[in-house]
Amino acid sequence: MRPSREALAGTEERSDALVRVRPGEGRTVSVHSKTGPMYEDHIAALVRTLLDGYGVVGAHVEVREAGAYDHVISARLEAALSRSVGSEEPFRSPLPPPSREPTSRDRPRRSRLYVPGGNARMLAFADSFGPDCLLLDLEDAIALPEKDSARFFVRRALAAMDFGATELWVRINPLDAGGADDLALVVAGHPHGICLPKVEDPSQVLALADLLSSFEEAYSVAWPLWIMPIIESPQGVLAAAAIARASERVACLAFGAEDYTREVGAERSREALLWARSQLVASAKASGVQASDTVFPNVEDEEGLREEARQARDLGFDGKGAIHPLQIAVIHDTFAPRADEVAWARGVLEAAAAAAKEGRGAVAHEGRMVDRPVLERAKRILAQAGEGSDAD
Amino acid sequence: MPTNALGREIPDAVAGRPLRPYPGAFATVPTGRRAGGPLKTIRPGANKVAPSLDEAIRRSGLRDGMTISFHHCFRDGDRLVLQVVEACARLGIGDLRLFPTALFPCHEPLVRHIGDGVVTRIEGSLNGPIGAFISRGGKLREPPILRSHGGRWRAVACGEVEIDVAFIAASEADPYGNANGIHGPHACGPISFSVVDSWCADHVVVVTDNLAPYPAVPPTIEQGYVDQVAVVDQVGDPAGIVTGTLRVTRSPTALRIAKLAVDAVAAAGLIREGMSFQAGAGGTSLAAQEILARKMARAGVHAAFAIGGTTKYLVAMLKEGLVRTILDGQAFDGEAVQSLRTNPRHQRITPGFYADYNSLGCATYMLDFAFLGGTEVDLDFNVNVNTHSDGQLLHGIGGHQDVAAGARVTVITMPTLRGRVPVIRDQVTTVTTPGEVIDLVVTERGIAVNPRRPDLAEDLRRAGLPVRTLEEMKAAAERLVGKGKSPIWGDEIVGVIQWRDGTVIDVVRKVEGWA
Repeated sequence: MRPSREALAGTEERSDALVRVRPGEGRTVSVHSKTGPMYEDHIAALVRTLLDGYGVVGAHVEVREAGAYDHVISARLEAALSRSVGSEEPFRSPLPPPSREPTSRDRPRRSRLYVPGGNARMLAFADSFGPDCLLLDLEDAIALPEKDSARFFVRRALAAMDFGATELWVRINPLDAGGADDLALVVAGHPHGICLPKVEDPSQVLALADLLSSFEEAYSVAWPLWIMPIIESPQGVLAAAAIARASERVACLAFGAEDYTREVGAERSREALLWARSQLVASAKASGVQASDTVFPNVEDEEGLREEARQARDLGFDGKGAIHPLQIAVIHDTFAPRADEVAWARGVLEAAAAAAKEGRGAVAHEGRMVDRPVLERAKRILAQAGEGSDAD
Repeated sequence: MPTNALGREIPDAVAGRPLRPYPGAFATVPTGRRAGGPLKTIRPGANKVAPSLDEAIRRSGLRDGMTISFHHCFRDGDRLVLQVVEACARLGIGDLRLFPTALFPCHEPLVRHIGDGVVTRIEGSLNGPIGAFISRGGKLREPPILRSHGGRWRAVACGEVEIDVAFIAASEADPYGNANGIHGPHACGPISFSVVDSWCADHVVVVTDNLAPYPAVPPTIEQGYVDQVAVVDQVGDPAGIVTGTLRVTRSPTALRIAKLAVDAVAAAGLIREGMSFQAGAGGTSLAAQEILARKMARAGVHAAFAIGGTTKYLVAMLKEGLVRTILDGQAFDGEAVQSLRTNPRHQRITPGFYADYNSLGCATYMLDFAFLGGTEVDLDFNVNVNTHSDGQLLHGIGGHQDVAAGARVTVITMPTLRGRVPVIRDQVTTVTTPGEVIDLVVTERGIAVNPRRPDLAEDLRRAGLPVRTLEEMKAAAERLVGKGKSPIWGDEIVGVIQWRDGTVIDVVRKVEGWA
């Protein structure tokens, strides 16, 4: 691979690196690190290894970093190189798989936190925020000229960071608007699922499922990726049930209120959203998948968030979107089972256990028959309660 | 070279002054008697007010080679240190040893006076530019000795440091020398750091910009110890008291750390009626304090006392009744000064009351728990607050050693990475506070419990808190950034870090290279 033109990627902001690739004879690597001599050799070696791996010749590489982690520097270098050779194709290679467990389709998804996919500073500690679902965003949050760089970034961050029990998602663009290119890189980072925006028709889900099958194989991902369609238009709301049933991969329907209210010409209010949200919940539940409510846009308004999250919970949603890590605790707190629910669930399980011991088939608790859905609901409540409350 | 109890190499002497190696946090047994100033007397009708600062310096008998002392209650707004040093330069007095409690970025012009030989030695906390200047090999005749707040008080009180002339900035003073820092247009706080200076210095000059009729009360500095009173246009700017980030952080990472820290002390059963705590003024500590306040309110418990540095956040807890008494050595904002002036439960204390090792009582020994920061921690739980990982000497000790030594549970809060520099090291660059007195290290990745405290480990696990080893958290950080190089140390010593008892816990050497 030989760079054909000068290219830059990244920034000089905190936690980021600016990488410049210039074509020329031979190969040089120069590093300017904010830490001074502490990491300059380490970073130069990192760059050389990557250049060797991609077989790059005839390139002068300059790195200026301000607290960037190794994978940030790698991602910025890959972005600069791809800009310099004019193609992402050579970089669609597997990465060393992270040690990561698959997730179940019905795991708790109380919170789904969006983090801009290209922002080094915001991603620097994203491995410690602890939402149920972390969505690295390649759609709305990314300016078009930085889209390619963000793809490389998300791929590297997914592969390098240990996010613990958090389920990892990438929100890509619609497939016909760059989403396919997103997938071609990010699946290499072994996420748990893909979040697809602006879904209005089951065919969009099917197309994504097809692409996923091929990338999973190419990148040896050990699990089938889940799909979270985002329903954010009146057409999408009307087709929600069909969308939820389009593929076994669909784990959760997410609602996007901003675009929906714009398209129907409504002001955002509880009443304006009520039908759409209820329709979405019913479609999801009738199809055996979860439903996640829209984000609450005002980070400073904690009470407003708590109120809206409570509404969502009461409508039957399983979780809610967040745009700031500080919203997670409030959401988890709201979606945590109430004390009376936990007591009820405990009673159900005790009644079931007693019945099983006595060899009785029929189980009743508080005068109501306990059938399988009731038993499972009780188990789910206790599992959620067991995770504790994060509120403070 | 001899090593101290932590295995750090400590030379026998630096610039002719013998160094005693650190023997363990409470191993030193003091001997001897307290020091004090010379006996003097005065007749009725004497006038202590000097016509000018220059004249006060002349009358004090200050000569080449002597030691002058200051407090730092104005923090980055101090105007006195430079006024005195400039006056000395005018008067042709040089080779001075500066003995402030702390220096701040506003004191950067001192660098010029060091170059001109007016100041040749500095002993005190060095925050920012002066520390950086010395780390670069700036020419002081002796490397600075850094002491904690309690350590400095002890050094004066036992005669380890002899002060020739103490200059005490006061926002209010009367012509007879009674002085305080809580009244006047430029009120700055307790000024009690200087009490021991007034007791022990050969000559004491109170400097004020607000001469009040006799008697100025409260007499934090008492008339009987004051030789002269000098009046200047301004001793300091209270706006400079608020330095750094004296507000609750919004950083999700810092908030997570703060919450874990509070959860940890709650799990240890320390949030209960009659509790006590110290929380610093850093963003994470303030956030922890705010979370603590909410938790206390919910639990319906009250703290018997909290120790300042005081901010408006602690003052709010006092007003709400969550804290019954503030013991305060230092004000960090105007609300704290105002509260000191008006609220009798907001009590001014000296560093001697706070933490003098050579005494029969320290307020810090009565603490249930404390939240402290640091630049690095190592696998033995030793904490560095003085230097950065590149060897630069940039921060003073403050009360870090004193609080850690005293509190039943000392909690260090820090992120695992600053930029791309891992904070958990195999060995800290400089030991400020020994692992012996550190109980918990809280990062965004979890809580490490000192193996000396299996009781705490059990409490935390039972509460479902994420207990991790320092090794695990260090490895997690290094997976993202690698290990990097460490400084190669030269022989030249640029700073001496005293433990609070006067022994040497570490020395800071000049960086010669990297490996």
